This record gives sequence, C-alpha cells and structure tokens, in this order.
Amino acid sequence: MVGKIKDKVAIIGTGVTKFGEIWEKDAEDLLVEAVYEAVKEANVDLKKDVEAVWVGTQYHFTGMSGAIFSDPLKFFGKPVTRVENFCASGMDAIRNAAYAVAAGMYDIVIACGVEKILDYGGRGLPLTGLELHPVFGMPSPPAMFALCANRAFKVWGWTKEDLARVAVKNHYNGARHPKAHFRREITVEAALKAPIIAYPLGLYDCCAMSDGAAAVILTRPEIAKQYVGDNYATIKAIGMAVETLEPWYRPYESFLSFPANVKAAEAAYKEAGVTDPLKDLDFGIVHDCFTITELINYQDMKLCKPGEAASLIREGVTAINGEFPINPDGGLKCFGHPIGATGVRMTVELTRQVLGRAEGLQVKNAEAGFAHNLGGAYTVATVTIIGRP
Amino acid sequence: MVNVLAYGAYIPVWRLSRDEISKASSVPSAGGEKAVASWDEDSLSMAVEAGIDCLTGVNPKEVDGLFFASTSPPFREKNASSIIASALDLRKDVTTADFTNTTKAGTAALKAAVDAVKAGSAKKILVVAGECMVATPSSDLEQLYGDAAAALLVGEDEGIAKISDFFSVVEPIPGPWKRSMDVFPQRFESKLDLRYGFIKNTVEAMQGLLKKHGLSIKDFSKLTFNAPDPRGYFEIAGRMGADPKQIQDPMFKNVGLTGAVHPLFLLVAALEKAQSEEKILCAGYGDGCDAFYVETTNKIEDLKGSRRATSIYLKSKRMLPTYEEYLDFKRLREKAQPERPRASVVTYWRDEKMLLPLYGRKCGKCGAITYPIERCCFICGEKDNYEEVKIARKGKVYTFTFDYLYGPGFAYGESAALNPSIRVVADMEDGCRLFLELSDCKPDPKEVYIDMPIELTFRFMCERSNFRFYSWRGRPIRE
Repeated sequence: MVGKIKDKVAIIGTGVTKFGEIWEKDAEDLLVEAVYEAVKEANVDLKKDVEAVWVGTQYHFTGMSGAIFSDPLKFFGKPVTRVENFCASGMDAIRNAAYAVAAGMYDIVIACGVEKILDYGGRGLPLTGLELHPVFGMPSPPAMFALCANRAFKVWGWTKEDLARVAVKNHYNGARHPKAHFRREITVEAALKAPIIAYPLGLYDCCAMSDGAAAVILTRPEIAKQYVGDNYATIKAIGMAVETLEPWYRPYESFLSFPANVKAAEAAYKEAGVTDPLKDLDFGIVHDCFTITELINYQDMKLCKPGEAASLIREGVTAINGEFPINPDGGLKCFGHPIGATGVRMTVELTRQVLGRAEGLQVKNAEAGFAHNLGGAYTVATVTIIGRP
Repeated sequence: MVNVLAYGAYIPVWRLSRDEISKASSVPSAGGEKAVASWDEDSLSMAVEAGIDCLTGVNPKEVDGLFFASTSPPFREKNASSIIASALDLRKDVTTADFTNTTKAGTAALKAAVDAVKAGSAKKILVVAGECMVATPSSDLEQLYGDAAAALLVGEDEGIAKISDFFSVVEPIPGPWKRSMDVFPQRFESKLDLRYGFIKNTVEAMQGLLKKHGLSIKDFSKLTFNAPDPRGYFEIAGRMGADPKQIQDPMFKNVGLTGAVHPLFLLVAALEKAQSEEKILCAGYGDGCDAFYVETTNKIEDLKGSRRATSIYLKSKRMLPTYEEYLDFKRLREKAQPERPRASVVTYWRDEKMLLPLYGRKCGKCGAITYPIERCCFICGEKDNYEEVKIARKGKVYTFTFDYLYGPGFAYGESAALNPSIRVVADMEDGCRLFLELSDCKPDPKEVYIDMPIELTFRFMCERSNFRFYSWRGRPIRE
C-alpha cells in the first residue's frame, strides 16, 4: 500500500442535529438539517459546488440507496453512494468520500450519516435480517459486549464499579453538550443499581436508542482556503479493518481485545506518524456503545497496556481535565447511537475540538485527536486522525 | 433370535412436587413429584437424549432403522423419526417410522423392530420413545403424567437380553382419547376403560404370552408395564397371581406415568438392575395390549455403569420452585409473549449436518476444528480443504452473559426479558468453539461461570414461521 491521505483532505464544514428521541421529525428532515448546517459553515452552495455524496445508514431507507440523500435535498443528477458497514457506516462514508477527494476525482463532496431508530419502536436496535437463520441468530448488542466484560472481570479483576466510572465520566461531559440526548450527570451508585440488560451490563452501561444526523464537507486544502480561510482541519490518517461477524466461533478469540481495532489503530497511527498517542495526540473519541467497549478501546488504541484501562478511568486520566480526555462530548453514552450518524458525528466533534469551537466542553490546546468507530460484533473498526493543517 | 443390544433413558432435570400442584389446584396431593420437561423439550428432543444414552459406545452408522413412539409427537404431519435419526447421526439409507396415537405405541414400535430384524430386513434398529403429555390443569391426570424417554437398541448380534415372541390383543376401548384438535385428553367413563380396557387387555396379553411360551408368572423376576394409575399395578399383580415384589417400581413417586414410554422405560430400569438369566415380562397397554419378555444373558454386566439411564437421570434433578413455572413450561397460562421474527426453513434444511448431528470442519492444512462449516478455514483461510467432523459433546465455558434483550430462539421486544437467554462461548474438548444457549439453569453468576463444565443437549430452539426448529444447547453436566 503506497497511498497516503495525510493532509490531502480538508474538512471545511460540519453539521450535526440534536440527538435524541426526535418523534416529530423524520430521517429526511434530520439529514436536511445536518447538511445545511455544514453547507453554511463551509460557505459552499449545495447544488453548485458539491459534486458527490456518501451517506452512511444502516436501517432507514434500506433499498433506497442513493435516493437516501438525493430525495430529501433534491440533489439530483450527481453521484450519491449509500454506505452500510454496521455501526461504523458513518465513518466509512467519510473514508470513501475522503479517498475520492484525495484521488482528485472531485473537489468538494459531502459525507453524512443518518438514522431514525425510534421509528421502529420496541427495545434495542431494530432487527437486521441476520436473524433469518433459525439457529445461528445473533445475540443482542449488549450481550456481545457483556461476553467481554465477564472475561475482563475474571482475567483482570475489573469490576462493575470500573464500568460505572466510564458512564459517570461520559455523563459529566454530555451534561454540558447542547446536542446530547442525555444531559444529566449520574453517580456510580445509580449506575450500579440500574436494571441488568445483559449481565453484567446494566442500563447505564449501554448507550441509548436515539435519532440523529451529521454531515461533513470535504475538499482539498488548497481549495479550502477559498471558502473558509484557515478555518479548517485536515485528515491525518484513516485506518480501517474488518474482522469476523462471528467472533464467538473463532478459536482463540480473547474477548479482551478487538483485532479490528488493533489493526485500524496501527494503520492510522503509522500513517499519521503517531508512536505514542498520549504524547503525539491531545484527546480521543472512542466508540463507547457500552462502558466495557470504551475500556477495551483504550487498550486497543494503545493508551495503556492490556489490563490497565480500568486504572486510567479510576485515576481520571481520560476525564475532561485529565492527561488525555476521551469522549469530551459525552460519547455514545450521552448522544445515543443512531447507527449511520454516529461515525460522522464523532468526526464533526473531532473537527470542532481541533478548531477550538466545540459546542460542549472544549479540550484545552486540542491540536490533534482521533475518532474511533466500531461496528458489528467488533467486526468493523475505523480510526480517523484529524488535526490542524 | 432377536436381542436387546443396549438400553438408554432420559428424565428431564426438572421435577414438580405434587404438593405444589395440589396447593394450586385443590386436588388432594398424591405425594412425591413428577418429572417435567423444560420449556425447550418435547417428546422428540427427549427421545434424542435417550437415544444418545443408548448409543453410548455404539457406532450410529451400524444402525439400520429408527422407530419413534409417542402419543405426544410435536408434529401431526412430519416424522419425528427423521429428525431423530439425523440428530443421532444415523446413515441416510435407514428405515424410519413414527408409532403414535396410543400408549401401546412403545411396545408396537419395539415389536415392529423385532419383526424387521427377524425377517432380515435390518440388522440393528433403535427404538426410541418420548412422551411429554399435557393434562388439563386441575384435573387428576395432571398429577399422574410425567415426562421421560426410553430407548432400546435391538438386533441379531449377541446382546444383553433375548427378546421373546410377542403376544398381542386388540380392543377398541373408548378412553382416554384426543381428537385431532384436542390439546388435553378426553374421557367418558374411566371405570369402564379400566375394567374392560387396561385390566382385561393386560391380563389377556400376559396370560396369552405365558401360555404361548409355557411359562408361569413365577418365572419372572420383574413385571414391567404401563397402567393408567398407580393402583393398576397392584390390580394386575393380584389378577396374575404375582408377588407385589415382582412388580417393577413404576416410578410414580418420582417421575409419573409416561404414556407410550412407560413399558420401555420400566424395562430399561429393570435391565439396569438385572443379573444374568433373569426373565422380565413387559406389556404395553392402549387400545389392546402387546406382551413379551426378555431373558438376560451374561453380557448384561458389560453395560452396567456405562449409561445414565434411569438411575443417574433420576438422581440428577432440580425442583421447579412454583406451579406457575410449570404452567409456563407447558404454555398453559396467559402471559405476555415476546415477538419472534420469521425464520427460514430453507437455511435450516441446507445446514442440517451442522444443526442436527452437529458436524463442524477440521482444516486439512492447519488442523483447526471450527464451527459452523464454511468453505475457508477460520484460522488459516485454506479453501475447500477440510473434513467434516462431529463436534465434541463436552466442554467448558470460556465466557458468558445473560441476555435480557434477546431471549432464547430470537425472542425480542418488551417481554423478552421475562426469559433471558443464557449465552456462553464454550471451548469444547476437541478445541472447537461453540456459541451456545444454556438450558436447565438460571441466569445467576453462581450457576453459570467461566470454566463451568458443560455438555450438549438436544432441544427445540424456537418456533418461528410456524415450524419447530431443533438443534443443540448446553447444560450443566448431569451425573
């Protein structure tokens, strides 16, 4: 592999809707809202300037493909590609869009994501079609990650209190973000008392079912200046890896690390020239669909050695005022997880932090950071590093 | 001469105290307890368990036929025996049949197996019987019925017991009956059924058998047969002039009456304790009666301790804490139900070898044993180079969870949390990883834990698309 993306793609516009139970709006409304916020920030004309679109979505519109985007925005006659890669659909949309720009195929493109989970009703994520097999059905998402928690408890002595500390930290941050779904702090005691969803994960160990949309506008740095002056960030690296959707059938699968994470992080760090993320980067956004996932992500992202993630959360290293803040926005814990939107929202947050205009808590001296998006049964991992040009 | 080559039995782990039934129904308690199949067990799945027990140490590919007997088969149209034969990994060129609609079905199936061997059309036939009868709540039958299964392998080889010629009578006695649409048994006059059905037919068949073979009732160490109630055993003993000690313990106190299974079940129990050169009489009543006897050989000792049969499965038990849980197991009370999506019968058919006899693959290059069977090796990626291997039946838990969001068999929605799925990643003894739901235990970290030893158990996984899907779950080892 010889291609490099470093500093070839600029993010000039970001848009994100309020996340939450948005009963009164549909997915089309949300997408229009996020895209127009990004368009305004980038000072571009949607119809005249934008040449192509990638949109990440898992559930909604399935079967509508490119019309997901073209219909609500009346954006006709141009290429639109629907990207679906489980919970990492959003960041994979960005990855595809970024590569098209870097390759010189387009000057200005949009990558966006949307999901309208609440329209499906019920508890947990809507079904995917994988359940069509009468025996090889999937466990629920919390159960997939609970398998890791019980293993970590046994091997490393982590406890439910350690998981609760992740929730408490993210709720502290999310309480201060105007677009978060949940904007209230919680206590360790409350987290420990919550009903069990998939043992040992309780209600506060799980992200919520939420609706939302997010969008970014990408171009090359030399074009960026014409639209936003110096007010843009550049992509330093994108790493991605896909492993198995059936980790429970793979002999030697440890359930203590996600191989897709490790490979995506290694690729991204290598491309960005990161040797020690704690020193070379300022903060991170990780996919905290469940509290245990955040802790395992610390290790896979090389923030600490295997088994030490619980110490990081106990010692406040990843708190907003800690040495290396993680999820300063409140993460999926507070935003919920509208599947296709999440990876894009993370990238919006990362960009705004780097540009010093975070909507919630601003990480001090944030010059570069990573966003990590994980999907499936730890199947798909994407890591994007963004910094000032 | 046709012989019994091996025996096996199965009793579900759950028992319900008759005092609990009495409290809920105000029918006086008959005392003791009854065996209750788990919510994911039925006559078919329990017959597979008895078949596994019976075939311990036997190559299933040497079996030429499988007969299944039950008054409670899970399908009205669809052979249970075809599914059982596959789950037990029999060859495809075997004969199968279901014997049903009467409590005599167990002995009728055995007679057909013996006749087939005698006629030379098969060398070995496995007869399995499973019963999971549902009685009307608060009826007296509710305390009588129990759930269990039994299996006998018969063949022309030298065996543990020789099987005599049968003597049969037939009688279209009215009751009990179930019409096609009936869930619960119907009766009109049970005294008539008892006197002109059970007692008359059983005595006629036994006496006919004695006369045919020139034997006296005193020649038998044990009498094994089914009766419509516990008193029936003493009634027959009296009429046959037998010493009550000759009556095989009918296991009413701890299992219950198990319909078509019962004569074979009691015969298995008698064989477990028998010495060589004992004669054991067996009769199966229901719309008539079949009678035969077996005479043990000195090979009977060879099987002792090799099978769980009634002795181990009787001891390995857990009490159902409440009558309400029993009603839930039998689906006899109104309760919020989870949703279940459609499931594909096509994929079930295509994956038969993985789902019923439970084969995985062994890579021809790196040797990894993995499940399910895929073209490329999970470990080394080698394409189309593998042999199909039967996955080990025992292993231990690598990690686990209790899934309150998706229940067993892909139950989801608001009510799925009522019956969470106990999910375990298991390392089997051959190194294969399986992802199993556990049965026969509770979602409690004291019961389910890392390194917990488990074994596989055949169950129905779910009912979706109006079909009942069978495959394997895990359970705590029963010993």
